[in-house]
Amino acid sequence: MLDKIRQEIKTMEESAERLKSLGVDMPAIRRNAEVILTFLYVLKFITPVVENKEG
Amino acid sequence: MDYWNPYTETMPRDQLDRIEFSFFKNLFSYAQSHSALYKDKLKGLDVGDLKTFADIKKVPFTYKEELRKWQENVEPFPYGGLLGVKIEEVNTFRQTSGTTGRPVYVPETYESWQWRIESWCHILWMAGFRPRHRVFLPFGYNVYVAFWEAHYAAEKLGCEVIPGGALDTKGRVNKIIELKANALTGTPTYLLNIAQEAVSMGIDPKSLGIERALGAGEPLPEATRKRIEDTYGCLMFDHIGSTETCGFAGMCEAQQGLHIVEPFFLVEMLDRETLSKEVAVGEQGVIVITPLGRRSFPVIRFNTMDVAVKGPSTCSCGRTSLKLMEIVGRVDDIRKIRGVLFSPKTVEQLIRAEFPDIVEYELVVTRKDIMDEITLRIELSPKIAKDDADQLAKKLAERHKILTNLSCKVKVEPEGALPRYDLKAKRFKDLREVH
Repeated sequence: MLDKIRQEIKTMEESAERLKSLGVDMPAIRRNAEVILTFLYVLKFITPVVENKEG
Repeated sequence: MDYWNPYTETMPRDQLDRIEFSFFKNLFSYAQSHSALYKDKLKGLDVGDLKTFADIKKVPFTYKEELRKWQENVEPFPYGGLLGVKIEEVNTFRQTSGTTGRPVYVPETYESWQWRIESWCHILWMAGFRPRHRVFLPFGYNVYVAFWEAHYAAEKLGCEVIPGGALDTKGRVNKIIELKANALTGTPTYLLNIAQEAVSMGIDPKSLGIERALGAGEPLPEATRKRIEDTYGCLMFDHIGSTETCGFAGMCEAQQGLHIVEPFFLVEMLDRETLSKEVAVGEQGVIVITPLGRRSFPVIRFNTMDVAVKGPSTCSCGRTSLKLMEIVGRVDDIRKIRGVLFSPKTVEQLIRAEFPDIVEYELVVTRKDIMDEITLRIELSPKIAKDDADQLAKKLAERHKILTNLSCKVKVEPEGALPRYDLKAKRFKDLREVH
């Protein structure tokens, strides 16, 4: 389940980055895309991958 | 059991440690390249030096005094060398209360704020706040952080938030009744003040319909927590945090200690003497915190100067995070009086647990010649007669002596003589230094 969630977050991140680029001259589009990226940062933080061993 | 994020909240301990170590290294590298304070402070250390979890102890502590120093006359104004992002990215100003000196100014970006709010969502969810709750927030539009976090987190959970600013206490009681608010947050002191105001209006606080309340901004001794529960007929929960570190631990339905919100925070509990060894479960330790995902204001191994009893990583709620069993107080609140170590929290516990007719109090320490004196100023419920007040004062002095090993003078003050607090209460005044 977590893998699927992480994959979906990655897809959304790529999409939001594209949206941000498309909105380069449109502040409303650009800023809303940045806001989406903010929540994706939080989503990545709360679904961390556990490293196999310390270090 | 119902969790906000079951993945992280029930994760095996060793996995949490690994994640936090990985986050710690990321933050270390980020701070070294983005914060003037840490460029300077971490000179000579490289992230490659952090090979095992134990290597975290190679990283020096950060103290509040340093934060102040790195903001004084250091650009960019007003955050100075603490800023971890471009100044244009900052979108909210917050500051510490200044209780212990010059306030520290804290920059939040949209990202850091949302990270912080996510952490707070854990705190509210653990305390049983749910979308069905209509949460009354009795605070003004101000620069302090605590209730803003509560506001945004309650909103994010799906609760209905009632902004309770720009009203006096009576107005707030009326608004709670008018809108049938069923949840409340506030400083413990102010929650008791609201209840007292309701009583003076002829309203039983139990009839307000408050189901749950969450304390913020002040320590919440168990006796005070129970008193608030009894007064409102509600469940009262605690949390701990600060402007510099964010809210980092909260109480679950088991109401036995505070769960660290992991892996948002790496919390170390270190021995008071050397600050080098992790204390054992059941022992007192100084809380040292690293918020692991906040880039606007990176803080690494912040020594909070708060002392708590370390709890286990097990709980009947099923969460696996480290627990703080009891907040003992601040290192700088624990004083030596006539050679005896004294914590003001003991007096609060005593008053809240055994003297329900004391509505407000203040503890003053002075020095006469070479002798320290403690005066306990109290204000009583108006229903107490003069003779009863004298008896109560005598009993209080006796109980104080038994619990603290120190005698004190109890002075009964007229109604309204002592200050009331909406935010952090300052009931302990050590005036010895100024005499």
